[in-house]
Amino acid sequence: MTALPSAAATMPPRGGLPVAMPRGRRGTELAMLCFAVVIMACAYASAGLGLNGHIPSGLIVYAPGFAVLMAAAHVTVRKFAPWADPLLLPLAALLNGLGIVMIYRLQQSGRAGNPGFQISTLTTHAASYQLLWTVIGVAAFIAVLIVIREARVLQRYTYTLGTIGLILLAIPAVLPSSLSSVQGAKVWILLGGFSIQPGEFARIALAVFFAGYLVAKRDVLSLAGRRVLGIDLPRARDLGPVLVVWAASLLILVFESDIGTSALFFGLFVAMLYIATQRTSWLLLGILLFLAGSYGASVLFSHVGERFTIWLHPFAGTNPTDAAYQLVQGLEGMAFGGIFGTGLGQGQPFHTPLVQSDFIISGFGEELGLTGLMALLLIFGLIVQRGLRAAVAVRDPFSKLLAGGLAFVLALQVFVIVGGVTQLIPLTGITTPFLSQGGSSLVASWIVIALLMRVSDSARRPAPQPIQDEGLTQVVRAG
Amino acid sequence: MNRAIRRLSLACLVLFVALMLNVNYLQVFRVNTLASEAGNSRTFDAQFHNQRGEIVAAGGPGKQVIIAESRLIKGGIYQRYYPHSYVYAPVTGYDSIYGSTSAFGTTGIEHAENNLLAGTAPSLAVHNLIGLISGKSRQGATVYLTISPAAQLAAYQALTAMGKPAAAVAINPSTGAILAMASFPTFNPNDYATLDSRTLARIDNRYRRAASQPLLNRAINQTFPPGSTFKIVTSSTAFSTGKVANENAPIPAPQFYHLPGSSSVLTNDGGAPCGNGNPPIVFAFTVSCNTAFGKLGDTVGGAALHQYANLFGFNNPNLTIPLPVSPSNYPPLKDPAQIALSAIGQFNDAVTPLQEAMMAAAMANGGKLMRPYMVSEVQAPDLSVISQTQPAELQQVVSPQVAAYVRTMMLSVTHNPSGTAYATAGPPATGIAIAGKTGTAQNGVNNTNLDDAVFTCFAPYSNPTIAVAVIVKGGGFGADAAAPIALKIIQAYLGQH
Repeated sequence: MTALPSAAATMPPRGGLPVAMPRGRRGTELAMLCFAVVIMACAYASAGLGLNGHIPSGLIVYAPGFAVLMAAAHVTVRKFAPWADPLLLPLAALLNGLGIVMIYRLQQSGRAGNPGFQISTLTTHAASYQLLWTVIGVAAFIAVLIVIREARVLQRYTYTLGTIGLILLAIPAVLPSSLSSVQGAKVWILLGGFSIQPGEFARIALAVFFAGYLVAKRDVLSLAGRRVLGIDLPRARDLGPVLVVWAASLLILVFESDIGTSALFFGLFVAMLYIATQRTSWLLLGILLFLAGSYGASVLFSHVGERFTIWLHPFAGTNPTDAAYQLVQGLEGMAFGGIFGTGLGQGQPFHTPLVQSDFIISGFGEELGLTGLMALLLIFGLIVQRGLRAAVAVRDPFSKLLAGGLAFVLALQVFVIVGGVTQLIPLTGITTPFLSQGGSSLVASWIVIALLMRVSDSARRPAPQPIQDEGLTQVVRAG
Repeated sequence: MNRAIRRLSLACLVLFVALMLNVNYLQVFRVNTLASEAGNSRTFDAQFHNQRGEIVAAGGPGKQVIIAESRLIKGGIYQRYYPHSYVYAPVTGYDSIYGSTSAFGTTGIEHAENNLLAGTAPSLAVHNLIGLISGKSRQGATVYLTISPAAQLAAYQALTAMGKPAAAVAINPSTGAILAMASFPTFNPNDYATLDSRTLARIDNRYRRAASQPLLNRAINQTFPPGSTFKIVTSSTAFSTGKVANENAPIPAPQFYHLPGSSSVLTNDGGAPCGNGNPPIVFAFTVSCNTAFGKLGDTVGGAALHQYANLFGFNNPNLTIPLPVSPSNYPPLKDPAQIALSAIGQFNDAVTPLQEAMMAAAMANGGKLMRPYMVSEVQAPDLSVISQTQPAELQQVVSPQVAAYVRTMMLSVTHNPSGTAYATAGPPATGIAIAGKTGTAQNGVNNTNLDDAVFTCFAPYSNPTIAVAVIVKGGGFGADAAAPIALKIIQAYLGQH
């Protein structure tokens, strides 16, 4: 017997080994959620103070509104996923709250006597819209938790969701540019003043499809097939549908000029294939394919090649004022922020084009500094870690694959956009989960959190207690 | 499947660690590089809110004088101000609104010490960190100069009164500290301190197009033929190589010297003879015989002259004070006629006024040439000393004995009634014991231009505290045009009139 913690040691064991009762830890979740809301409110006040020296009047709407939303989410979790991981909801809430604050700060730039100049791509209602999207996001979160009581029920809709995913992806490519194209990326559905990025939802649908398909076929995929050059190749008929979906999604993305998202789909696919088959050879093949693909794309498509040039030589020639303007402004902004940042409302993030969406990380880096960015990265890292932990703990293979895939693709998404903005890798424009302005990304992110919490609820839920027969039988818990 | 998920989570860890390391690299180690990137709009904006450090002329005698400061104008914005406008322009240079974002936005000390003045130097990092936490805007360091306000003002006024393109430099011979550095025509650095980019462009354009080249710092960035002042180098070489025993040893001085291997004939001023044709070297030096020193140059040889010229500081492209100094030129020569001409400061010889001052200073300091410098001390905004310049020896040019011979000869120039500078820098003009050498350099194609007037000297003779060089372009005789300016600078510095 290993050494027990002292508190447990003082309790006399009754009827065999002491068994720690699993706990939902909903109280912990509530406390941390309050903390997240307080941070959001303080950041909001700080942004107002930094901008014009007084606390913004919107605080009495935004902070309580946000608190009510999070309370609703918490109550739903208590009722419908009582065993879910207590960290995920507060972490998501904190990111979402900080995102609203940053968008508020950017929207105020150059308006109402505030310093800086107006960001032409932001309206005066951007922060209100972001809060509205948060309402929809949390509603989606609640709906997913209420409707989907077990993640594995989604397995029934494997092919339905696969089809929906492909259709969602294809819509912007089919639509005329006037209804689908913003700043060169043809990834939108524009209806009136309303815009949706269907790709954000397609990613979740395709993750479900991959999980369902791979669970059904994983034995064949990992066992059958020929060995070529030390790599076990599955039979074409097993892999066919997956390859078709993958190739189709890539093709559509190439036509929609959205390289970042296509990289995410690729990563999602390879990671889930790896989890299902446990074959390292697949991982290597995937990475090789990806590198070859990127190189090929950089040679074939001028706009891809240009991204490599910008990445390697942002300060060469006319790049700083032309092709690399956005990246250079972002980098100079983060450098301007330094270790502690300028403070919310006191930097000049308005120099960076699209700082409210793709480059929001550079805005945080400028105003909250290295300290703030490290904190944000840790929060993202924790969400990923809790997601993967749920995947490890859950017994059902479909839920395992789904949670593993969703958590990994979240990590990849953060890596691609933050790495791009900080010049670690070539820049590809994708949203930063929870932070970037834009409803689709926010709602999709909340759905992902709901699914991860649903899986962790299944994983942490105690096995049904059998009726104990006065010490005659002993419950042996499987570790 | 758990093994694969655990490995994937390791992969995620790698991704996040890579991001975090890169963010640290970006926001800690790349901060200064990115801040000084051309066209950085944040740095450009921030400079208006940060108080740039002062530049102080602290070389005495008397009170220190602030020669550049940042003044708070409306809206918490700072503007550079030069209280003495033209006087210190060659020293301070200017700081324009492009100072932080372009290499061409600053000149002079404003350029050379930009990182300290702007407060971005690594040595100010700890101070900035404290300021950052306490919420104060960045303050630059104060740069103290060795410039003497009295000497600088005298130099500026004398050059302006003369009204010809000219420059003057004064050095403390025992330390190398630069006491004055003036150039005429010059500019008003306040013109460059405007916050309006269009005004700045107009003013800059006007200055750059002006034929009088007001932005040129003639004291260190233009070279002139040294003329007869180069005889200091020729004499030093002759003494040091043993070709001439001491200042009283006779040297051959024909009335007409046929340049070896050439049909040209070298004469003295006005074709006059030089003493009895074989006078002591001190006499030839005092009346500045060209034939004597041309022949002496041929005697000591081109290689020796080149070697000693280098010791005096010629041909050094790397000298900074900390403003970069254009190299003075003395080429290695083989042709005896060219050597003879170069020995009297003609042919391709070219000196900056600073180099002239260094020649006199080395003689005044017992043959030891000190490294010229202008920044004496840098203080952080909390008055802690960041750096202090210690006087450093460049090299021992000649032995103390040889230096003493040359000093005696230089004193004779001003104190022997037949000396070239007797009337303008000797007892008739001043009670200060000045020792110097005049130069009247022919220049232009076939010597058609007006002669450049050169005078280099040190004072007081017995205990030298200042060495001064003045070059007036087209000034005529060195003794007439340049020596009175040097005298005024010395009088101002020594506090005697």
